[in-house]
Amino acid sequence: MTAALLAASSCDSFLDEQAQGYIGGEALNTPENAEKLVIGAYSLLGSDHWPFVATMWPQGSVRGGDAYKGGDGPGDLGNLHAYEVFSVNRIDNSDSDVAWFQLYVRISRANDALRKLNVLDEAALPLKTQRQAEMRFLRAHYYFSLKILFKYIPFIDETVAVENYPTIGNDAYTNDELWTKIADDLRFAVANLPLKQTDIGRPNRYAAQAYLAKVLLFQAYQQDEDHNVTGIDRAKLEEVVTLCATVGEAYSLHNDFGKNFLTAYENGVESIFAIQYSQGDATPFGRLDWSHKLNYPMNPEFGCCGFHVPSQNLVNAFQTNADGLPLFEDYNKVDIDYKSDDFKTKTFDPRLDHTVAIPGHPYKYSSFIFQDTWVRSLGTYGPFLSMKETVAPNDQSFQKAPPFMSSSKNWDILRYDDVLLWRAEALIELGRHDEALAFINALRRRASDLTLLKKPDGTYASNYHIDEYKPGINCAWTQAYAREALRWESRLELAMEEDRFFNLVRWGIAAEFINEYFKEEKTKVSYLNTAVFQKGRDEYLPIPMQQMNLSRNLYKQNRNW
Amino acid sequence: MLLVFAIPRLSFAQDTVTGTVLDGDTGQGLPGVNVAIQGTTTGTMTDGEGKFTLRANTDQILVFSFIGYKSMLEQVGGRSVIDVTMVPDLAALDEIVVTGYTTEQKKDLTGSVAVVKMSEIRNIPTANPMRALQGRLPGVTVTNDGAPGGGATVRIRGIGTLGNNDPLYVIDGMPTKNGLEQINPADIESMQVLKDASAATIYGSRAANGVIIITTRRARAGYRRVTFNSAVSAQRYNSKIEMLNTEERARVYWQGAVNNGTDPNAHQIYKYDWATVDGTPVLNQVILPEFIDAQQTMRPANTNWYDEISRTSILQSYDVSIENGNENSSTLFSLSYFDNKGIVRESQSKRYTMRLNSEYNFLNKRLKVGENLNVTHFVNTLIPTGDVLYSALVQQSIVPVHAVSGGWGGPAPGMNDRHNPVRLIEDNAHNTGYFVRAFGNVYADLEVIPNLHARTSFGLDYQTNYERTLRKSYVSGFLVDPSNQVRTRQDVSGNWVWQNTLTYSLTRGVNAFNFLLGTEMIRYVSQDFWGTRRGYAMENIDYGYLDAGSTDKDNGGSGSSNALLSQFAKINYAYADRYLASVTVRRDGSSRFGPDNRYGVFPALSLGWRLSEENFLKDNVTFISDLKLRYGYGETGNQEIDNNGIRTLYAAIYGSDARERFDNASAYDITGKNTGQLPSGYTLTQRGNTGLKWESTKQHNFGVDFGILDDRFTGSVDYFIKNTSDILIKPAYLGTVGEGGSRWVNGASMENTGWEFILSYTESFGELGVTLTGNVSSYRNKITKLPAEVLTSYAGNGTDKIILGRSVNSMFGYVADGIFQNQAEVEAHADQQGGEDIGRIRYRDLDDNGIINDRDRDYIGLKDPKFSYGLNASLTFRNFDFTFFLQGVQGHDVDNTYKSLTDFPMLWSGSNWGRRTLGAWTPQNTGSSIPAITLVNTNNEGRFSTYFIEKGSYLKLRNIQLGYTLGDAVQRIKAKSLRVYIQANNLATIKSKTYTAPDPENPGNAYPIPVMYTAGLNVTF
Repeated sequence: MTAALLAASSCDSFLDEQAQGYIGGEALNTPENAEKLVIGAYSLLGSDHWPFVATMWPQGSVRGGDAYKGGDGPGDLGNLHAYEVFSVNRIDNSDSDVAWFQLYVRISRANDALRKLNVLDEAALPLKTQRQAEMRFLRAHYYFSLKILFKYIPFIDETVAVENYPTIGNDAYTNDELWTKIADDLRFAVANLPLKQTDIGRPNRYAAQAYLAKVLLFQAYQQDEDHNVTGIDRAKLEEVVTLCATVGEAYSLHNDFGKNFLTAYENGVESIFAIQYSQGDATPFGRLDWSHKLNYPMNPEFGCCGFHVPSQNLVNAFQTNADGLPLFEDYNKVDIDYKSDDFKTKTFDPRLDHTVAIPGHPYKYSSFIFQDTWVRSLGTYGPFLSMKETVAPNDQSFQKAPPFMSSSKNWDILRYDDVLLWRAEALIELGRHDEALAFINALRRRASDLTLLKKPDGTYASNYHIDEYKPGINCAWTQAYAREALRWESRLELAMEEDRFFNLVRWGIAAEFINEYFKEEKTKVSYLNTAVFQKGRDEYLPIPMQQMNLSRNLYKQNRNW
Repeated sequence: MLLVFAIPRLSFAQDTVTGTVLDGDTGQGLPGVNVAIQGTTTGTMTDGEGKFTLRANTDQILVFSFIGYKSMLEQVGGRSVIDVTMVPDLAALDEIVVTGYTTEQKKDLTGSVAVVKMSEIRNIPTANPMRALQGRLPGVTVTNDGAPGGGATVRIRGIGTLGNNDPLYVIDGMPTKNGLEQINPADIESMQVLKDASAATIYGSRAANGVIIITTRRARAGYRRVTFNSAVSAQRYNSKIEMLNTEERARVYWQGAVNNGTDPNAHQIYKYDWATVDGTPVLNQVILPEFIDAQQTMRPANTNWYDEISRTSILQSYDVSIENGNENSSTLFSLSYFDNKGIVRESQSKRYTMRLNSEYNFLNKRLKVGENLNVTHFVNTLIPTGDVLYSALVQQSIVPVHAVSGGWGGPAPGMNDRHNPVRLIEDNAHNTGYFVRAFGNVYADLEVIPNLHARTSFGLDYQTNYERTLRKSYVSGFLVDPSNQVRTRQDVSGNWVWQNTLTYSLTRGVNAFNFLLGTEMIRYVSQDFWGTRRGYAMENIDYGYLDAGSTDKDNGGSGSSNALLSQFAKINYAYADRYLASVTVRRDGSSRFGPDNRYGVFPALSLGWRLSEENFLKDNVTFISDLKLRYGYGETGNQEIDNNGIRTLYAAIYGSDARERFDNASAYDITGKNTGQLPSGYTLTQRGNTGLKWESTKQHNFGVDFGILDDRFTGSVDYFIKNTSDILIKPAYLGTVGEGGSRWVNGASMENTGWEFILSYTESFGELGVTLTGNVSSYRNKITKLPAEVLTSYAGNGTDKIILGRSVNSMFGYVADGIFQNQAEVEAHADQQGGEDIGRIRYRDLDDNGIINDRDRDYIGLKDPKFSYGLNASLTFRNFDFTFFLQGVQGHDVDNTYKSLTDFPMLWSGSNWGRRTLGAWTPQNTGSSIPAITLVNTNNEGRFSTYFIEKGSYLKLRNIQLGYTLGDAVQRIKAKSLRVYIQANNLATIKSKTYTAPDPENPGNAYPIPVMYTAGLNVTF
């Protein structure tokens, strides 16, 4: 017994327990595991849940006047309602905190992968530099999202030790310097990515060039502390033009606009960089597009949840005049009424029926006819639903995940039609609007292809009439006119995607447009009666209260919050 | 010389004396009573009927002694038959108390030890004896809900730390963190709670939250007995919250739309006949449609969901034990069956236990070998009661239970996406979980030389859960899932414990020593796995095995382990039964800390002074029968954190169920092939901290034990100061840290101080016996040190409002300052950032800067009660016994989370709302404290504010019981005793008027605590 007591007391190794089912430390420092960490960083591209979705439709499309939040009513995901009306958005809106945190989670995976890559020998991992470039591309993408949401953000790269994060404020860099930091990551990516990747999900050099063009375009519009656009950087615009032209060497437009929103054409000629979703992949429901899981109709084939409803204003904006051009001035004078025969008697840009689900019209080019009973709250949010992000119930990529559903259809982060718009925008702002005309017209020409919109009986759901801008014939192509045309084209081409609000802020017209929108829309949608956009404040979300507290007020709050 | 010689010779002139010892409690013969002749070593023991025979001299004195009973002295006085009746000694000073690896007499205790009076709780129908202890022990807080499984939260002396605050249970010497719901209460012989550190330090590493020591019953020598107990209870749900019916909800919605200036007829379902009369909107009629959904499957109903999901349910318990003890061995065997049908329909927990406790004597009783073995088997119906109760709260009453076709009703457009709770019940009633726990130890105790015992004990405690669940396909309103799924999971976890101790007791004149030296090794392991498939041809649980599924095969599993290694020593010293001292030291090693910080050393010292043994008191103050002063100081530790807190860990998470949360997995379709096996990586799950070390608690305890008027009054007073430092916490972290940011650190320090008072009064008035026991206790909590690293993890704003100096249980938020009554008040008040309006909550501008923002939050409530108390009264009269027990908590704030669900239509627009909304503020009802109905949350009224804080004080009649012990009837069925009783639990509640939900004990929609009515019997053969 004495011996037993002594034996028990002395076996110190008894306490050396190992972690069960985890990996850590030195075991990770192999080329194989570095590659796996790179994959892990990619995997968060589309790891979404409704408080924050990477496609940012609440922040971009809803705030930009393209859409109502939707769902059951203003109280359903009320934090997003606060985004929609601005006036009751506050610094304790927890969805802003979730957005902040989730984006830094994604950044932390990229930085972690970079730390592992940096210490490896090129000999051990021949693709080391290329993988570093991929991670810096991803990091730039996540920082870009943070930047357009919050303006002033702590920029942390892989060289900073985690212990030092609490010392890095969101005012360490100026607005312009932050853009440059993001652009630097993309410049590294441009320099080190191959022209073609074996894996379609990895960005190639063109993707980096396209993203760099986008960042430079945002940076070119100089902003003061009140978010007023105070000037424009011509050198950056020149670079945007060059970069976009290079991308044009490798990408082109689909013949039919709708192919951008169909599973069968994903990773096609127009897709430059996309989130690669999958199904039947041994995960519980698939690596689905959870960004849009709330955005399906309420009919039995789908079931939930009727979010992201095109606004009356947006539907009206698809009207065309006798020349097939937008009704720049008068589009919102009279509402398009789905119960009347407006869709037959008036004329429309065909992109309407690619974008908006309208009662009586085919849903997603299928035999399913959309009904007003498919919406969640007709009385509150009206009869329409968004359609670009969804698929038909008989689509092979459709997946139920009760009570939600979505699909494995990819979502484009960079698409070539957008590149054409940036190129046109840069040219117009450089005073070279004549050169821009071709790119805008390319989009309009493509939009006139009605192949997918043709119903089995050969007819069309709406009366389409669209034409190119023909200076001297149907328009006077001045710089001002071209700017207006470009902004309209951007809205129609990218409607219900995330871009609208951020474009308005870039152009410096967010307050003007959105308050005009509220003024008219609140006469139709009663819950908007308290909505107001406060110029000099609402261009950006506030730094979330939780982060202000956690930083112990190291962070500087955005102006007027 | 002759005379001297004559005395012993006289003693040989002995006669045979026989007699029976009766139990004053039951009236039956008391076996195993020690009958000795005073001043000699001669003696015997009563047999199974309580009879004894010995030879004694007429002037000798017989001493009758039995644990738990008052000893009796009887002079033989020429009698040949001596019958005595022994009465239980409730305040027995010579009571044996198990204090950790050893036992002490209660009079020698120097620590703060609460002894449970098992007789008070024996017949209370509960799956968990800790539930029955609620309010009975000062300083021991028990909270629970009414779920059939029987969990309970036990807190000893407040919140001592931030993570795991559960006490350590030591059952027959085996330490465990599992609660007592897995033990048959009838098997428990005694329970003691070691509250202070000087008592608990012997359990060192895990004793910081207190230790509860349970000793199970053993057969006594000479005992041969069969005991049978049975009880049947009816349980009722009497705390349903009042929700709106269909008509009422339609009216409240209309009020909201009118208040918002929107068109109420925009609603998906309700239509209204209304008009504005003299500027006031008037609702004439609510018009319900023929169907509530576009598919015309559901007609409007008026469902009371709480009624649909609840029932009056039956709880049954049966247990039988067989005891057989003789000179050289003793065996106790018991079986029990406990069947608790919950008040949520189909919820049920069935428990079977088996116990075998045996001991064998060898080598002339110098060697004892024995075992304790307990096997528990649970069969639980896997009703998701949390979801059911939440759905019953929020599901609108217009939804019918069943659709027109007979299928399920469910939410229609305009409603939230919560399930029909009746479907949740019915579709899960076939799902069952099985739990088996085998628990016990074998031991050998050798008396090496007189008073030196070497003991070794090896224990095993393993448990397994097995669940097989079939999720059926369903169509329930707009919630549709055409797929079905079977999931099977099992986990196995447990530990072994090897303990070795040496004990030696030594008496030299008036000096008495007890020595203890020991070691303990424990190793825990846990593993689990699960599998799922879909595509079942039949939705029948008998078909629902994994093999029968055809698609979507998935599985998973994980494991963990940790180990503890300890050495300990203790010396007790008593001088002349007057001066008592005890010194303990324990050294613990835990695998959870790195090599540099692995060991913690936990010392303790305690002193006692039995003043009542001092002559100056004995001679002068006769009304004091017992008086002891105690002081104790001790340190204890805490290591209740993740096993791998020191390590930075990555997990190969391939894919997870991302429907309701962010997917932290790492697979990605990098090749764009859309399907099939994906490349995947790792997820950083935590950052390591190699410097992690033991959290420690230092505690001072000052106590007085007293007995007055021949122990008619007995009681204790304790005061404690408990300082916890290096509190282990996973602090909140800056968002920029990103994934895996959580990390265990040693952070804040806090102090708990408090006092505890217990007083018993025992008296007999003829045939009426009265025992009253009251207790009251209180504690205060304060954060005393707050390093920057953990500052933001506590309630506060991170800068000027921090929790330092406040209780960890403080609540932080806005001050709701009534309701704006008119436009003038709105304009006079600070800017509420767009939310200010008539009928809305006015928030106080604490910093007086004209704007309501996060700077206007402050500490607005405290969850710590001012005091807690209990009062037990036991009366006996002839064959009747009567008990009632009152328990209360006073002066604490609760966050009435029901309010956010019942008071604010705009927060839960698609839900049903509470009937309180009918009394909301309107221009005609300006006295209301409930803000005006709105459908849009412009004022962010869901923010945490004083609106949700209410007084949680309550007083409950926990138990009232009447028993009758049968006399003559017993003989006919050859029983030794038979008692029948009826009782009720939770019969009445007095709560604060300001508390607006039904039960302040359950402010958060947990499983309701039922009212119970019980009839039962105890019979002994």
